[in-house]
Amino acid sequence: MIQLFHVSKCYPGDAPVLDDVTLRIEKGEFVWLTGPSGAGKSTLLKLLFCADQPTSGQILVGGRNVGRLTQAGVPFLRRNIGVVFQDFKLLENRTVVENVGYALEVLGASDSEIRERALRRLEQVGLKHKATSLPLRLSGGEQQRVAIARALVNEPTILLADEPTGNLDPGLTDSILQLLFDANARGTTVVVATHDRGLLSRYHKRTIALDKGKVTSDA
Amino acid sequence: MIAHVAWRLSRRAAVNLWRAPLPSLVSVLTIALALFLGMSFAIGLAFARSLLVSWGAQASITLYLDPATTDDQARALLARVLESEPDADAVYVDRAQALRRLRVDLGDLAGALDGLAQNPLPPTIEVTPRGSPEPAVVRVIAAQLQRLPQVAQVDYGREWLDKLTALGRSLRGFGLGSLIAVLGAALLVVANTIRLAVYARRDEIEIMKLVGATDGYVRMPFLLEGALQGLLGAGLALGSLAAADRWFLPRVQQAFVFASGVAAPQILLSHALLLLGIGALVGLFGSWLAVARFLRT
Ligand SMILES: Nc1ncnc2c1ncn2[C@@H]1O[C@H](COP(=O)(O)OP(=O)(O)OP(=O)(O)O)[C@@H](O)[C@H]1O
Ligand SMILES: [Mg+2]
Repeated sequence: MIQLFHVSKCYPGDAPVLDDVTLRIEKGEFVWLTGPSGAGKSTLLKLLFCADQPTSGQILVGGRNVGRLTQAGVPFLRRNIGVVFQDFKLLENRTVVENVGYALEVLGASDSEIRERALRRLEQVGLKHKATSLPLRLSGGEQQRVAIARALVNEPTILLADEPTGNLDPGLTDSILQLLFDANARGTTVVVATHDRGLLSRYHKRTIALDKGKVTSDA
Repeated sequence: MIAHVAWRLSRRAAVNLWRAPLPSLVSVLTIALALFLGMSFAIGLAFARSLLVSWGAQASITLYLDPATTDDQARALLARVLESEPDADAVYVDRAQALRRLRVDLGDLAGALDGLAQNPLPPTIEVTPRGSPEPAVVRVIAAQLQRLPQVAQVDYGREWLDKLTALGRSLRGFGLGSLIAVLGAALLVVANTIRLAVYARRDEIEIMKLVGATDGYVRMPFLLEGALQGLLGAGLALGSLAAADRWFLPRVQQAFVFASGVAAPQILLSHALLLLGIGALVGLFGSWLAVARFLRT
């Protein structure tokens, strides 16, 4: 499903952010991507949904070479990838339910369908009662759950989550992770970047560790 | 699916226009002004043109014959003229007739003619082209007639016609040039307004693209917003033109009609549609310029 061959990412003047990364993630896998702050986790995820280009190396997502995608091809790649951004990227002037519906809107779904599916996702993350609030009126953890609802709303084949539990209390963390596990059980390939070691020890899954842009362990 | 997406995007364009009314207003007013000026100019030009044509119709061509021409020669010449210009009426005015006419024209001053030893007037043939020929056509006919024998001189109000024609031509060139300039300016104003709108909503654009919106989908509300501005501007221009037509033109018309018999120009449905079309296109193209630039980066 996801393959990286000798992928490097350098910003001029700095040490490489990703340094010769080669890895393979199978369809339907659940993978932790871990490592200290600045290790390159977010950068690696960005390359997968084409928000950035590698300096060298090849990336295949769903059998497609991401580097060879035309500008017109990028949106169609992204429609199959749900992303929970580390900084959420919610629209401040749209209500919660509109934010969640955004991913469906660009697919051309009808208003009623968008609303119905968005509300269902919000119910799953326990925020149905906040559907008409604006994101800035929500707590950090609530905003995070909105971001997760948006990433899952169109049943993507790949889910990339960048610190999806960073702002949640332990009880909520478990219920949110359960959402990710459920999506994984339905067949979605899930990659979760986290530096929360507690999670890794509580949920034993394949863990790819990055440090200074290199894969230091994969088990 | 197309229908409800189109509906959603147009709704959004209208909302965006509504949310930032001031820059949009500037766009709308600029387009309105450009189209109003352009259309007034076009109407004025059309009016001047019909005036010109009506004068062309009145203009008769006078052939001054050699004073030695006999009546028989002149009548033979008249026959030739009628033959060579089937689209014109022609009459022979002999010297005695010409003098009588002059007497009538002079009225009270006619006594002055009594002192003349002999009739100084040459015989003439007066040719009046039928229909309303263009000045250029009148000129060609006059040139042909000039070549006939016994014709000493041809007079067709040449200087007037030539001047008017030249004036019309340079006005048209000037009008077209300034119309293009004004429309270009309107286009840039729209482009700038939309650029601001794009900039204000760059976060939204980024997120739309991250969740899989195509460039076309991102672009569409802005294009619609620009087109809407153009349409509103054209509507405003039409309204002003209609108001001018109703309140201002009748007075101008009074001043002109008795002189020319030319009716004042009217704004037709086709003109209105043309204006709306141009407005929409200017808005569309202006916003396309702004958005295309943004999406490329
Ligand atoms: N646009 C950029 N220009 C220059 N350097 C960048 C840019 N983006 C990221 N970096 C650098 O790349 C490195 C890795 O960043 P990245 O965000 O991938 O780390 P991370 O593993 O996600 O860290 P965290 O756990 O804190 O989120 C950092 O040192 C950062 O300074
Ligand atoms: Mg990060």
